[in-house]
Amino acid sequence: MTQTQRYILGAALGCVVGLLATVISVRAGALGNMESIGPWRTGRDFGTEQAGAYTRAIVALYGLLALPASEARYYTAATDDRGAPLDGRCRYSISGGQLPAKWWSLTLYDHDGYLIDNRSNLYSVSSIELPLAEQSHWTVTVSPNAQPGHWLPSGTNREIALTLRTYLPDGDGRHNLNPSQLPQIVKEQC
Amino acid sequence: MARGWARPLLLAIVVGLTTWYATLLATPFVLMQIAERRVSQVSGVNHMFDAPLVTAQSRAIVRPSPDLLYSTCVFDVSKGVVVLDIEPIDAPYWSVSVFDHATNVAFVTNNLETHNKGLHLAIFRASQIQPAGYAPVKIAGERGIALLRILVDRAKPVDMINLQRRRSTCRQTGL
Repeated sequence: MTQTQRYILGAALGCVVGLLATVISVRAGALGNMESIGPWRTGRDFGTEQAGAYTRAIVALYGLLALPASEARYYTAATDDRGAPLDGRCRYSISGGQLPAKWWSLTLYDHDGYLIDNRSNLYSVSSIELPLAEQSHWTVTVSPNAQPGHWLPSGTNREIALTLRTYLPDGDGRHNLNPSQLPQIVKEQC
Repeated sequence: MARGWARPLLLAIVVGLTTWYATLLATPFVLMQIAERRVSQVSGVNHMFDAPLVTAQSRAIVRPSPDLLYSTCVFDVSKGVVVLDIEPIDAPYWSVSVFDHATNVAFVTNNLETHNKGLHLAIFRASQIQPAGYAPVKIAGERGIALLRILVDRAKPVDMINLQRRRSTCRQTGL
């Protein structure tokens, strides 16, 4: 092999590895993987020029047109409180209380970031639909089978993810929710 | 033999790192382009598109919020300033955000900030003249997406909100 051929091979190898590294690293990232709080991940610089190239790429892939922190904060979870990946075939209890924001919603997505098909068109639970008595303590069940109370159907998806959105968060969204404020995700049955 | 491969391997590392970073930088532009194309195929450019409530079949954007109604305008200021006239909507929350082609937020506000009044925005680039009576939104580049998000209760009819949001427009001016 001539030296020129070695250079061409090296450049081609570099291109392929560079492209693969981008695809793998961006796909492996989660929306707002800047900071982890228990199972939840979040970031503060979505949609801003301050966002780094990596954050910008992940947000474009998983949450294009996300709002800046002053308008909304996004928290995503792909694992339960024990760190096990969320599995749509299992039943989970997600519980929380009042959140420091005008309103919030909890949405379930499949691995690709799309809503999960179900007959009841149940995709999310938001604070505006909760009765007053439940505002300070609420529970949502994620399960493939119908559940009493607030139920988010997970269908037959193996990999699922939750996104908690807090709109008009207190303090213009400068501070993350702390572990005691963020909902708990407990696997009940699998 | 090893000496013959040292420089090609160094080249591979340099090219690999350069490719990785260049691809990372290009990703938002490419995905924004796809989103702009998907929306403009339905509604055209510089027109407001009132999307129905998202369902499991929706594929226009990833991680859409099922609690929101989205009205979208893919804008292009290359041939003139684009103006957005947003009429007030009877909903507990609505917001207007303008994203440039690089996915940066050029402008965002909500009904609490506008005291539930309408909004009149002019989207333009540095070399264009700002029309009178419109709040300025200067963008980098020529294209982008403006989004009207409206909070709804999915369990209730949204007919009235649909009527109200159809009064909002997005159009190119002669400026």
